[in-house]
Amino acid sequence: MGQIVIDAVSKEFRVANDAIAAVRNASLVIERGKFVSIVGHSGSGKTTLLSLIGGMVSPTSGRVLFNGDDIYTWTSDRLSEYRCEKVGFMFQSASLLPILTAKENLLLPVAFRSQRAPDAGNGQKADALLHAVGLSDKISAYPAQLSGGQQRRVAIARAFMNDPELILADEPTGDLDEETENEMMQFFLRMNREHGTTFIMVTHNSDLARKTQQRIRMHQGMLQPA
Amino acid sequence: MPTLFTFAFKNIKRKPLRTGILMFAIALLVSALVFSLSFVQRVNGSIKKSSERLGADLLVVPTNARGAAEEILLENRIKTFYMKRSIMDRVRALPGVDRLTEQVYLVTVTGICCSVPESMVIAFNQDTDFIIQPWLKEKVQRRLGKGEAVAGFDSAFNIRLGLIEMDSMLFGNVFRLVGSLEKTGTGFDTAVFIGMENLPAIIASGKVKNLQSDDISVVLVKVKPGVDPASVAASVEDNIIEADAMARKDIGKNIISTLKDMSRIFTLMVVLASVFSFFLVWAIFTAIANERSKEVGIMRAIGAKESHILTLFFIEVLVIGIAGSLIGIVAGMGMSAVFSKGFTIVRQLSTQLSLSEQAVIAAVSFLGGAIICVLGALAPIQRLKKMEPLMVIKAE
Repeated sequence: MGQIVIDAVSKEFRVANDAIAAVRNASLVIERGKFVSIVGHSGSGKTTLLSLIGGMVSPTSGRVLFNGDDIYTWTSDRLSEYRCEKVGFMFQSASLLPILTAKENLLLPVAFRSQRAPDAGNGQKADALLHAVGLSDKISAYPAQLSGGQQRRVAIARAFMNDPELILADEPTGDLDEETENEMMQFFLRMNREHGTTFIMVTHNSDLARKTQQRIRMHQGMLQPA
Repeated sequence: MPTLFTFAFKNIKRKPLRTGILMFAIALLVSALVFSLSFVQRVNGSIKKSSERLGADLLVVPTNARGAAEEILLENRIKTFYMKRSIMDRVRALPGVDRLTEQVYLVTVTGICCSVPESMVIAFNQDTDFIIQPWLKEKVQRRLGKGEAVAGFDSAFNIRLGLIEMDSMLFGNVFRLVGSLEKTGTGFDTAVFIGMENLPAIIASGKVKNLQSDDISVVLVKVKPGVDPASVAASVEDNIIEADAMARKDIGKNIISTLKDMSRIFTLMVVLASVFSFFLVWAIFTAIANERSKEVGIMRAIGAKESHILTLFFIEVLVIGIAGSLIGIVAGMGMSAVFSKGFTIVRQLSTQLSLSEQAVIAAVSFLGGAIICVLGALAPIQRLKKMEPLMVIKAE
């Protein structure tokens, strides 16, 4: 059985009296350590699919299994622990907290962990991750003092802070220049290779998608092989 | 590493004006609470202590002098009133009366009759007294002689009787002040006491008007064990038309009645301040909830539990509530000390609040401020706690 199993999942949103189907009867198995890319037009349901896998919105029908467990049978607290300790998120925009420095933003997910590692270790790890994304000199900078690309890189580093088994990345390099985009992609591939972290990455960039092991296309809420 | 505490403190500092307004509102509420509770407690406590320490079950005074007697006893006012001594015998004859003693009230006028500041002089019967003696004998240890006086606790201070053996001129007669009473917490604290045997010389001096040799001001009565003082008081009023009687528990009734009206006004003020503070906290936290919903969504998405969100916002609201309440307690105590002097009833009270009473008032007011703060923020925080993280992602 795969690490992630999406079993006949559908998701409808109700807007006034209308039901809008964002994901339709999607089924997918993703093995541990895979690097999967999802491509598709805007509004095709990619972000909703990531949210379903990430335990952020429950499906209208179907199941989402993580290591064999249906995550939507879990309590709210267990789902939070799953998001905190098993999954690293990279949103479409940086989504940093404005009153925390770059380093504090990285350390925030650690504060939500049930079992915390020693403080000193976390600080060093945050420094190392910021160094890895090229922001060693911005450790104490607030988001407002960073460019859009730098903020995006802080958010990328934050996703790795709790050593997640799974990274869900929603157009993670959207704000980056070509050179930095390539550097970040190399970073992702290295983390995938060295740590066995599973990646599911939504992207519009077909060059980036070609570098992944499995490519899936979404069209009008349905999954198709790319 | 940022903890929920450091994060909460950063949030509080983020909008100093808004935080300041909230703290000010809570401080205002708490100070109003402290002031009102202090006022009511002080008046209530003073009346209770005065009646408890009176030593008599019943007070018999001339008709229509009930209010004046209460004012002397509770508010340290200077008043005189007289009735005939024969009333004592009629009271003694009533069923249920065990012991009684009489007092005569005189008023000094500086420069005309006396060398002491204007105050009450109380002549008491040393043979039958059970009111003054318990406060007196520990200090003087003997019967007062003719031409000897003792002063109430506060009078002693006022006329510097700490220098015992000082001579004073009272109603044309020289009196040697030989001691002072212990603090009684009643109007007796501001009076000067002399033995009844001094009255003939005082009357003969012509310095006291309207006082006849067979006049007395008040009869203090102890009833027999098991007898209800109220029934004896009713009996006095039924049988002696020239006298009014008050049972000990009824002393201060008029003041308490006035106080109840004032308490209602204070209660209304505190309720209005509470409602105002509640809605202010609610409105500000609703604004905070709207403003920070994206941040909460981010936190939920990266693993914050509902309890983390609750804790974070409750730390913020509690810090504001606690700081506001502490400021309010200090301001309220200050207001009580300064503004209560503007209330005659409080200025003339003989008792101050004890430290423990002040601590209870501070604790009640503190809790009141903190609870209003938490209640006001409850609904917006509950809404934030339930926020779906997907909202953040969709909102991007």
